[in-house]
Amino acid sequence: MATIEILRTNSDPPTPKRKWAKPSRAPRGLEIIGIVIAAMFAAPLVYLIARNFAAPNELLSAVTSSQVGAPLVRTLLLASSVMVACALLGTAMAWLTTRTDIYGRRALAVVAALPLVLPSFVAALAFVGTFSSGGLLEETFGIDTGVRVQGFWAAFTVLTLISYPYVYLPVAARLIGLPRSLEESASSLGRHPLAVFRTVVFPQITGAILAGSMLVFLYVVSEFGAVSLLQYDTLTRRIYASRLLDPNAAMAMSLVLAVVAITVVVVERIATKRRHVIESPGTQGAPKRVLLGHWRIASTCFGWGLVGLALFVPVAVVTHWAWLGLTGTRNVLGRGMDIGRLVQPTINTALLGVGAAVVAIIVVLPVAYLTARYRSRVGGFANALVVGGFALPGLVIALALVGASLRIPFLDHLYQTFPLLIFAYVVHFGAQAMRSAQVSVEAVPRHLRDAARSLGAGRVRRFRTVELPLMAPALAAGCGLVLLSVMKELPATLLLAPIGVDTLAIRIWSASSEGFYAQAGLASVMLVALAAALTWLLTIRHMERL
Amino acid sequence: MNEAGEASDATVPAANAPANTPVVSIRGLCKQFGVVRAVEALDLDVMPGELLALLGPSGCGKTTTLRLLAGFEHPDAGTIRLGGEVVSGAETFVAPERRNMGVVFQDFALFPHLTVAQNLGYGVRDRALRAKRVAEMLDLIRLNDAKDRRPFELSGGQQQRVALGRALAPDPALVLLDEPFSNLDAALRMRMRADVRDILKAAGATAVLVTHDQEEALTLADRVAVMNEGRLVQVDVPAELYAHPLDPFVATFVGDADLLPGVSNGTDVETVIGRLRAPGAPQGQVDVVVRPEQVKVWLDGNGIGVVLGIEYFGHDQLVEIGLPDGSRARSRLGSARDLVAGDRVSLAVTGDALAFPAPQRSSESSLTST
Repeated sequence: MATIEILRTNSDPPTPKRKWAKPSRAPRGLEIIGIVIAAMFAAPLVYLIARNFAAPNELLSAVTSSQVGAPLVRTLLLASSVMVACALLGTAMAWLTTRTDIYGRRALAVVAALPLVLPSFVAALAFVGTFSSGGLLEETFGIDTGVRVQGFWAAFTVLTLISYPYVYLPVAARLIGLPRSLEESASSLGRHPLAVFRTVVFPQITGAILAGSMLVFLYVVSEFGAVSLLQYDTLTRRIYASRLLDPNAAMAMSLVLAVVAITVVVVERIATKRRHVIESPGTQGAPKRVLLGHWRIASTCFGWGLVGLALFVPVAVVTHWAWLGLTGTRNVLGRGMDIGRLVQPTINTALLGVGAAVVAIIVVLPVAYLTARYRSRVGGFANALVVGGFALPGLVIALALVGASLRIPFLDHLYQTFPLLIFAYVVHFGAQAMRSAQVSVEAVPRHLRDAARSLGAGRVRRFRTVELPLMAPALAAGCGLVLLSVMKELPATLLLAPIGVDTLAIRIWSASSEGFYAQAGLASVMLVALAAALTWLLTIRHMERL
Repeated sequence: MNEAGEASDATVPAANAPANTPVVSIRGLCKQFGVVRAVEALDLDVMPGELLALLGPSGCGKTTTLRLLAGFEHPDAGTIRLGGEVVSGAETFVAPERRNMGVVFQDFALFPHLTVAQNLGYGVRDRALRAKRVAEMLDLIRLNDAKDRRPFELSGGQQQRVALGRALAPDPALVLLDEPFSNLDAALRMRMRADVRDILKAAGATAVLVTHDQEEALTLADRVAVMNEGRLVQVDVPAELYAHPLDPFVATFVGDADLLPGVSNGTDVETVIGRLRAPGAPQGQVDVVVRPEQVKVWLDGNGIGVVLGIEYFGHDQLVEIGLPDGSRARSRLGSARDLVAGDRVSLAVTGDALAFPAPQRSSESSLTST
């Protein structure tokens, strides 16, 4: 799953073996397209900066006021604690599923990644409805937890449960990719399994842990749906609340959020710049497994318990609500439950997702060519801006686009139109398609293109008969990643969707804020099912590892 | 040269040229990568039906020459003519897809998503002709049973044959082979050499083969062009190359050889192992080329040489001998193991030796030689 490779996109891959492997001169036309794309991805941030610096006094007063300070601290506190928790859980899970004899290891390895499919606000909703005083747990089993599921610990728990796969996936992939001879030689030198892990394996996976942790941090910083439902007052929630009453403050806070996100990316890049990575030479047998012995039962409980809590509980809860609503046994939960009312939002969600995914892959493909096939400065620059677009929270991008479309002449007719919404999705999620696009470009080695040329195939025929068939799997995978993200996206959709156009995410959001759990549950089931189906179709089918 | 001429009589090449005009004619070819002069002022002709090997150490510019021929690189200067027509020159550059040259790549570069038959037919644009050519090629490369398989289902040798068949299918004017055997293991390599030569000859193709392996060049090619540091050093038939190398580089690169310093009077050379016959040698300081096959060695407590090490191959052995002036010589002996490292030995050279003017020696080495 390439999600995790997003920020590891290839602006400077390993040195080419031969001097003609990567010509430095990219075609002029391609570079111009690269510059246009770079400008496109930079546009929201540029607007944000320009807007704020046009009124420097307001920016200053907003930044120094306690209105920003306290939410910023909460944002950073939540992001760092969730990041640390995910790093621990994700690494533990990856090690258990790749290196031990835990029960149900293969199945666990697959389902452990699946919480990624859950939108944060669906998970948050399920937890509120289950564990709150008077929630499902009390209703069904008569257990009164006596807690209100809200605030820091609730947000921490929900976000940790759904985002540990960001660490789990790259670390598991790395562990699978490590040459087994590495660990075998360490054992043969008389090291205990734990010492082998600490001295040989761990140094090889720190890069993956760091990369995954950074994604978690960025995700939590930009997270809006769950923190709103759980009433933990972070910067995103404050921005959303003040966007209409005090747009200047919202813009200032957005800039602060953008600075935090970009700083994290830059720090991580510097930290992992020169890391020597050992790749195993192709296929190999299963690595040596640690026999857990007494710990086998406990580890199994931990692994499956974590997945149970992160995946099965939310899915079961929303399914339960949906069932109650449909069978009409509990009309308190939902008024006028009608599955027909979900048809249009489902179609909208699928169309928007597919549309954004296709546009995203087409838009990043020229940059992928520039970075993967040439040593182009323009390519590296455009790549950095595409990655920057991913770091920017969706809410910030959306707010910048709202501001720009309302204030800049000639752009006003774009406000709340599909093109602008797709544009926001592409800027925000284009980076997820980038790694796949680069992989697809690299899937056509120079020799194959040269071979086709020497056999008399011109540019068009080469692309149609050789390049496209070889690129298709990676391109589809890239589409799948963007699609999944777009379907789960909430704040940009809320701000930019055309009036009267509902998506499943919007439906879940409005139903849950009014307490219609059955409606929210039904829409959530639809969303998760649709996301799972489309993603499976595009991505997981082609997944080679795990 | 003669051998090449005879070979071309037997088969009329695709370029439709008379047997005595070259299929490919390269004049003054230059290519530079940054500060590296990959190819410098290269002149070369390839005659119809011949198999010419470009031989040289890695980085000598042989693969760049091949890529220039194929049109994958633009030359900085010089012209390449194919069948008399300029394909790379000051004003013209014919794109690779219009050159009608077949290329066999080091990694074979088979299209992984196409079957063997589809790979073979890829270069034949004429639909009516395609099926016929594919069938002919399947016969030629003896892979009829595998025509619906995909490349990853084939062994290395089979992939090699498909790559060759694919290059030959469009009936190219010239076939280029870039280190075609380097991805095969040693045993398979031997067999594939004969296979590839047979297939090329059966197809009547004119071919240029790039290799760094002198044994490969000598066994396969009709003529061998030796390159070093971007320049063409010598072009000749294998036997001539071995017997009459033009300079010490060719002498040591083609076949095993050691260089011994000496002083020549024009017919004999005085060296540390005695007086060697070297008719036609230049006067003065020279380097004498001594091949291990020429050196005889026997145990002698008063000998001047000391056995430094022995590489034992079974059918023969290579004995390395240290000499008083610090230079070394190797001797190829039979399989009898009567020498061990540290033994004192005497040496003699049978037959005539070749001598080349010595390059300016540094003061250090002249000290040791006195």
